Amino acid sequence: MNAHSNLLPLSALEPGAAARVAALEGDAATRRRLLEMGFLRGERLVIHKAAPLGDPVELVIKGYHLSLRREEGACILVEREA
Amino acid sequence: MATVALAGNPNCGKTSLFNALTGARHHVGNWPGVTVEKRSGSFEAGDLALEVVDLPGTYSLAARSEDERVATAFLAEPEVDVIVNVLDASNLERNLYLTTQLLELKKPLVFALNMADDAERQGVKIDLEALAGLLGGPVIATVGNRGEGIEALKAAILTAVQGQDPSLDPSLWPPRVAYGEDLEGEIRTLAAEVRRDERLVAHLPSRWLALRLLEGAEDALQQAGNSHAAQAIQAQMEASRAHLEHHLGADVPTLLAERRYGFAHGLVKEVATHHGAPVRNLTDRLDAILTHRWLGIPIFLAVMVAVYTLTFVVGAYPQEWIGAGVDALHAAAAGALPPGELTSLLVDGVIPGVGAVVVFLPSIMILMGCVSFLEDSGYLARAAFIMDRVMHLMGLHGKSFIPLIMGMGCNVPAVQAARTLESRSDRLITILVTPLVSCSARLPVYILLAGAFFAPLAGALAVVGMHVLGFGLAVGVGKLLRTTLFRKDQAPFVMELPPYRLPLLRTTAVHMWEKASVFLRKAGTVIFAGATLVWFLSNYPGLADRTLLAERQTQEQAVRALNLPAEEEQARLEDIAFAFQGRIMNTSLAARFGRVLEPVFAPLFDPDGKRDEAWKDGVALTAGFVAKEIVVGTMAVVHQAHEEPEEGAALSPLQTSLRERSGLTPLTALAFMIFVLIYTPCLGTLGMIYKETRSWAWTAFSVGYGFGLGWLLAWITVVAGRALGFA
Repeated sequence: MNAHSNLLPLSALEPGAAARVAALEGDAATRRRLLEMGFLRGERLVIHKAAPLGDPVELVIKGYHLSLRREEGACILVEREA
Repeated sequence: MATVALAGNPNCGKTSLFNALTGARHHVGNWPGVTVEKRSGSFEAGDLALEVVDLPGTYSLAARSEDERVATAFLAEPEVDVIVNVLDASNLERNLYLTTQLLELKKPLVFALNMADDAERQGVKIDLEALAGLLGGPVIATVGNRGEGIEALKAAILTAVQGQDPSLDPSLWPPRVAYGEDLEGEIRTLAAEVRRDERLVAHLPSRWLALRLLEGAEDALQQAGNSHAAQAIQAQMEASRAHLEHHLGADVPTLLAERRYGFAHGLVKEVATHHGAPVRNLTDRLDAILTHRWLGIPIFLAVMVAVYTLTFVVGAYPQEWIGAGVDALHAAAAGALPPGELTSLLVDGVIPGVGAVVVFLPSIMILMGCVSFLEDSGYLARAAFIMDRVMHLMGLHGKSFIPLIMGMGCNVPAVQAARTLESRSDRLITILVTPLVSCSARLPVYILLAGAFFAPLAGALAVVGMHVLGFGLAVGVGKLLRTTLFRKDQAPFVMELPPYRLPLLRTTAVHMWEKASVFLRKAGTVIFAGATLVWFLSNYPGLADRTLLAERQTQEQAVRALNLPAEEEQARLEDIAFAFQGRIMNTSLAARFGRVLEPVFAPLFDPDGKRDEAWKDGVALTAGFVAKEIVVGTMAVVHQAHEEPEEGAALSPLQTSLRERSGLTPLTALAFMIFVLIYTPCLGTLGMIYKETRSWAWTAFSVGYGFGLGWLLAWITVVAGRALGFA
């Protein structure tokens, strides 16, 4: 079974969706910042809601709420939780 | 004197704790060479005086943002004796990430578990003793904004400074993250290479440096690069990194982050018990409304209107009182002292100069109070969250919205509000474009010209057009700056949305006072110096000319000799004074400067070269450099026509004079309005820009690009207007 088939960018998740971080793409500075804020491999996150204008997105990770632009969310590959 | 550093995440209540520790005995300065504010103070414990430095809130010591660089550099200083790590009890795991790095410094650590009340309410109970044992330092539960736990904290700090904590098990201390066999092996090897140079390890553990080298931290790379063992260290560092990446399948920062969070996670599991799932009831319910899909934006706009009203409408009252006070002082001094140069220096230079500074205090304090309240309550993050999509399209950050909106009242406090932006490039761009937003001081100029040259409807449209143009330019220039000068410093937007908290009024008041006092100290001197300079330029050499003065006195005596009724005599004396001002202005250095500038302004305001009063524009614009509302008053003096309309007249004498005698046309008047909108920020704004950027270069840039852009757009207006057939 190809594990990569259910990988998608975080920006594709809808409010209420839960997923786990699979990989981080993008430039080194962005990756490090995301790591420090808790986006570790296997870390669970839940999409809370989108801003009134659609962007950015509020999500819950490691017990706190975080706001992320869609273009940054595109750098985070996640695996949807069943 | 021992030095204590306060380190912790943003939003963990560190500042309230700092205020509680130091009471009123603290002051705000700047870290040298950067735009980050340094807050330091002191307190007494036992018979020791302890200095406390409040570091900027950071999530990590990776040292990429200015805040992190400043914090890391200071923590590594040998003068820091004790580090107080402030932890947010309701968000322990993420807070401990920073702790894992602080532990590597091997300095005495004291932990303040802050917001313990919040945690309890959420059903989280933390075993303080177990935590202290695992972290190797005392853990004090505190509620920063109620002052709870402060005495215990002070005692713990004192003990740490004196180095006598009996509960510390020396075999365990210092505790640290165990990175696993592979990493530990490479760390040890690299640390050995680092130890070749004793200077590198004179104040810091070799392990700390080794870890930072492996991570690629700039400060460590620089230090190692300057060492005599540079080559050996460099070689080992690259070898270690390659080995680890190959062997463990991820780059070093990822590996370290995972181990650090693993440590934090394990720690939290051991010491924290949850009664029920942790929830943010009130916060989530508030957010359901405040960031609601349809309600979010209207509510945000309402908040902005409220802040604007408080700052500029309510704030107008104290502003008027200050203005009246300065005027009264001015009149009293003028009446009491004999006419002459020194008097004029004091009465027309110093007093208005000080007034020019102090008049900003109400709006600054109120706006900073509002911003501080919004920030501490957590709403500011929501505002940025809501506005970011629009701001990002403009090359700005969600938090840039407030400075731009407040700029419509006055640019001076608006520029200061840019302080809420965390990334240096976001902050700088916002500071540089906010002055383009049309402020209320420019309004009198628009009204003067629109009233003189346009029909009522066209005039109103022109005034509105100026505001729209200002905003549009702010967006355009912001985008331009982002894509040219600041392209590489695009910080990710990742922003925490902290739980809502009700800030203490006392904390807000402290912030208001701090911002005001820093403004007075840093910007105030610039503004005062500039105002005095312009006074000098507008009054010399005329003021030193005794013949002019003698003529005035003769005229006044003649009027008094007529024994007219008091009112008429007063009116005539005022006319004489007005004419006297006019003669001084006409022969002044400012006027000469205006004439020198004539060719520069000619294409804008006198394209046919027919106006012989064109030099007067330059004088008014030079005076406008101090404050844009002075342009009208200066024009009145220079054209010798009063700015107030007589009873029943639609236009004031000044407007009539401009319309009929100055040679300006509706087209060139429009160009003048556009120029005034853009040309350079006023002195107050420049003072604030200097204070916020700590850089003469950026301040000069503001002046330069403002003038250039203003000239360009005014010129385009004239050229395009003529092409379309307007005069």
